[in-house]
Amino acid sequence: MAQPLVKKDDDRDDEADYSPFMGIEKGAVLQEARVFNDPQLDARRCSQVITKLLYLLNQGETFTKVEATEVFFSVTKLFQSRDLGLRRMVYLIIKELSPSADEVIIVTSSLMKDMNSKTDMYRANAIRVLCRITDGTLLTQIERYLKQAIVDKNPVVASAALVSGIHLLQTNPEIVKRWSNEVQEAVQSRAALVQFHALALLHQLDKGKCSLTFGPMSLDPLYKSGNSTQSGDRPFYDFLESCLRHKSEMVIFEAAKAITDLNGVTSRELTPAITVLQLFLSSSKPVLRFAAVRTLNKVAMTHPMAVTNCNIDMESLISDQNRSIATLAITTLLKTGNESSVDRLMKQITNFMSDIADEFKIVVVEAIRSLCLKFPLKYRSLMNFLSNILREEGGFDYKKAIVDSIVILIRDIPDAKESGLLHLCEFIEDCEFTYLSTQILHFLGIEGPKTVDPSKYIRYIYNRVHLENATVRASAVSTLAKFGASVEELQPRIFVLLRRCLFDSDDEVNFYIISYIASLNYVVRDRATLYLNTLGGDIEIDKDVRDFLFGSLDIPLVNLETSLKKYEPSEEAFDINLVPREVKSQPLAEKKAPGKKPTGLGAPPSGPPSTVDSYERQLLSIPEFANFGKLFKSSAPVELTEAETEYAVNVVKHIFDTHVVFQYNCTNTIPEQLLEDVIVIVDASEAEEFSQVITKPLRSLPYDSPGQTFVAFEKPEGLPTTGKFSNILKFIVKEVDPTSGEAEDDGVEDEYQLEDLEVVAADYILKVGVSNFRNAWESLDPDSERVDEYGLGQRGDGLSEAVNTVINILGMQPCEGTETVPPNSRSHTCLLSGVFIGGVKVLVRLSFGLDSTKDVAMKLAVRSDDVNVSDAIHEIVASG
Amino acid sequence: MILAVLFANAEGNILIERFHGVPAEERLHWRSFLVKLGADNLKGVKNEELLVACHKSVYIVYTILGDVSIYVVGKDEYDELALSEVIFTITSAVKDVCGKPPTERRFLDKYGRICLCLDEIVWKGYLENTEKDRIKRLIRLKPPTEF
Repeated sequence: MAQPLVKKDDDRDDEADYSPFMGIEKGAVLQEARVFNDPQLDARRCSQVITKLLYLLNQGETFTKVEATEVFFSVTKLFQSRDLGLRRMVYLIIKELSPSADEVIIVTSSLMKDMNSKTDMYRANAIRVLCRITDGTLLTQIERYLKQAIVDKNPVVASAALVSGIHLLQTNPEIVKRWSNEVQEAVQSRAALVQFHALALLHQLDKGKCSLTFGPMSLDPLYKSGNSTQSGDRPFYDFLESCLRHKSEMVIFEAAKAITDLNGVTSRELTPAITVLQLFLSSSKPVLRFAAVRTLNKVAMTHPMAVTNCNIDMESLISDQNRSIATLAITTLLKTGNESSVDRLMKQITNFMSDIADEFKIVVVEAIRSLCLKFPLKYRSLMNFLSNILREEGGFDYKKAIVDSIVILIRDIPDAKESGLLHLCEFIEDCEFTYLSTQILHFLGIEGPKTVDPSKYIRYIYNRVHLENATVRASAVSTLAKFGASVEELQPRIFVLLRRCLFDSDDEVNFYIISYIASLNYVVRDRATLYLNTLGGDIEIDKDVRDFLFGSLDIPLVNLETSLKKYEPSEEAFDINLVPREVKSQPLAEKKAPGKKPTGLGAPPSGPPSTVDSYERQLLSIPEFANFGKLFKSSAPVELTEAETEYAVNVVKHIFDTHVVFQYNCTNTIPEQLLEDVIVIVDASEAEEFSQVITKPLRSLPYDSPGQTFVAFEKPEGLPTTGKFSNILKFIVKEVDPTSGEAEDDGVEDEYQLEDLEVVAADYILKVGVSNFRNAWESLDPDSERVDEYGLGQRGDGLSEAVNTVINILGMQPCEGTETVPPNSRSHTCLLSGVFIGGVKVLVRLSFGLDSTKDVAMKLAVRSDDVNVSDAIHEIVASG
Repeated sequence: MILAVLFANAEGNILIERFHGVPAEERLHWRSFLVKLGADNLKGVKNEELLVACHKSVYIVYTILGDVSIYVVGKDEYDELALSEVIFTITSAVKDVCGKPPTERRFLDKYGRICLCLDEIVWKGYLENTEKDRIKRLIRLKPPTEF
């Protein structure tokens, strides 16, 4: 809010002597407003008081309800005045005061009178004011007048009614929808503005959404409708292209933007648009430069090659005074640049980074990370750049973005590992963020021991034990212990260091801090003792404990959290083996969400808690299935009926080691029927290795109350046996009296054909992701590796379709975002991970290539804990 | 949607602010953000030279006119170019009312008129009237000469 304006220096211009609102005070203005009640209205004075009221309102001053009501009452008296200027002010102040519903009534009659006035401008303004302050009940009363106004001879009146309609559509759509005949008529009006407003309202009535603006912006709905209805041929393209030669810059730009936004736009279609945008890049107007570079930046995400022609102009924008433009230029260049231009670009960016805000820097860091992954050979200069900016000042988000980028580069570019780790070590020497320090220490514990010379990291880690807060100290102790556990020759030296940690001085206060923050709840000393015991063999330590302390936790954290929350303290200890390992696949909509950023230090992306444990509980409660053992996997429900049929049935496949249970979820959608003794007759003639053992019928299936029937099969132990099953729903149907809701005593036997069901290889593989595929791959026995090549023939949609097909056949979890194939790629590597039935970990590396005849070739490499499983994966792919 | 139109004096005090669809608790943030943006960038800028910025998915076009800085904030279809149309309409209306690029005093003298102009230019977050002659007539409750 503004400070009271003070008197300016005398040497200023005379007219700037003092503010007309100097010393303005709400109470005084409210007093002045009594002038509205004078029998002889002074229009000029009244206008001045309204201006003061507006000034107060615009300054953020608020009126109490009593004050507002009082002012509002007085304002209504001003309708008596014939002064046009005052009347216009009255309309404005009523809108600004936005009275509450019970006050609106006071002013309604005056406004209604104006709405029927002979003066067109009164009518138009009264409509606008009424529509602004009205509610649904009043609107029905004035609807008749509004409909008349839409077809009023005077364009200002018609426009006022139409524009009001556009806004009322948001609050009272059912009323506005009744005006379509009048709106249609208004479209035929001779006044262009009325036509435009009518069209806008019509468009909004149809689509529920429209942009109400003038002139060039009318292109907006046009190209949107062109976009949505046309996919192949584009009747609007020629028009848009001709707009590129329009005299108005705005029209040119909107047309260019519309072209770049077309669905599946080709490079050929893009060219003329890019050319005009390139011209805008060197415009003297910052707004045009910004608009052009913003659009080109967007195009560069999908068509980087189309934008390369603009690179020279874009480079000159790096020094643009406007930092938004410079940042957009840089990130675009980073997307379109080629390998040879990287070094030059980095030099330019270095100068630029020092004078932009953190939010811009983060964008640049993310762009550099993508560039480095694109040109791994350039990792040296890009990594150096990241480490340099890591040393400079910056907030937490910025630093985290840099650290995340370095971690991702270390994971994906093996050559960058050593230098990247050292950069991180140097960073924690002087890092003010506890979170980043602990995360880096954890990461060092995983990656450090695998390097050629792990000993060089020890100094950095041990320094943290001395110089940091308790949380970081505890992390450092864990990291030291990990080095000790993984690198035998370092063990004696690590012991010495860990023993020193026993003298750590943390006290009760630290204990609470650490208990709260550190996940394992050990104080530094206790951690050191624990690790010393574990590594030193002073006491007998179980292999599981070592695995738990030093191995990777291969349980999705979300699942662990859910299980821990469910666990109630009792005699029975929490069993980590009972935590479900399957990451439930994300809903489709979420999967399709574009622009998902790779995660750095954080946990691998994981879905919501699994439903597997609830299935397991349900199945174990059925005595017939109690001896089937542990549930390995439950499939997603497979629909066996079409939508909106009499009976809706879907099936969930539950896989056990030696059994498969089909759970048929049935819903009766006919109110007049009660179904009893519902079973599914399963024909397994095309599933020879399965033999039916149990059928559990559903006694009663009333209307709209889903129930389950089960059929269980025995199958060879631990094998991924497949087969096809046909299903018929069999039941006794009884008529139900709709009035009493009672069923008749006698029923009729009936059948209902269901769709076939297949048990496929993917049912035997759990989707379990790994956070670091390379490490996981290297940790598996190379002798278990099985490699073979496959020809997949021609694929309609290039590599993408081939990759998805193989992922679906195997039912494994894609890792590190490798399921996405960049457009127009000629080769692609996809990494998959999973757990095979029997709890065998399995990893798959798929390399796809496209030859000149568009035939897809695939090399499949598998590693697993069991060679037989590696072979089984090949068999699955060969038969799929 | 045009989210905000804001006028401030040279010291960064707000003269007029109008928000559309911005929750009351966010207004203070916008107010200080815009004033800081102007303080950082408007020094030495010529009258009516348009500057542009974006903040998340929101666009800001701002300029200086005499002693007064003007900011327009928009999103979706009100991108930088649409906003530049809005601000162009606003500056020409203000110049028309004040006779020239205004001093702060002159701006405050014509405060009521300027509020009326804004009411004609931006109607509930959408740009409506763009021609200064039309606006000039409408604020005096005179019918426009052309349709």
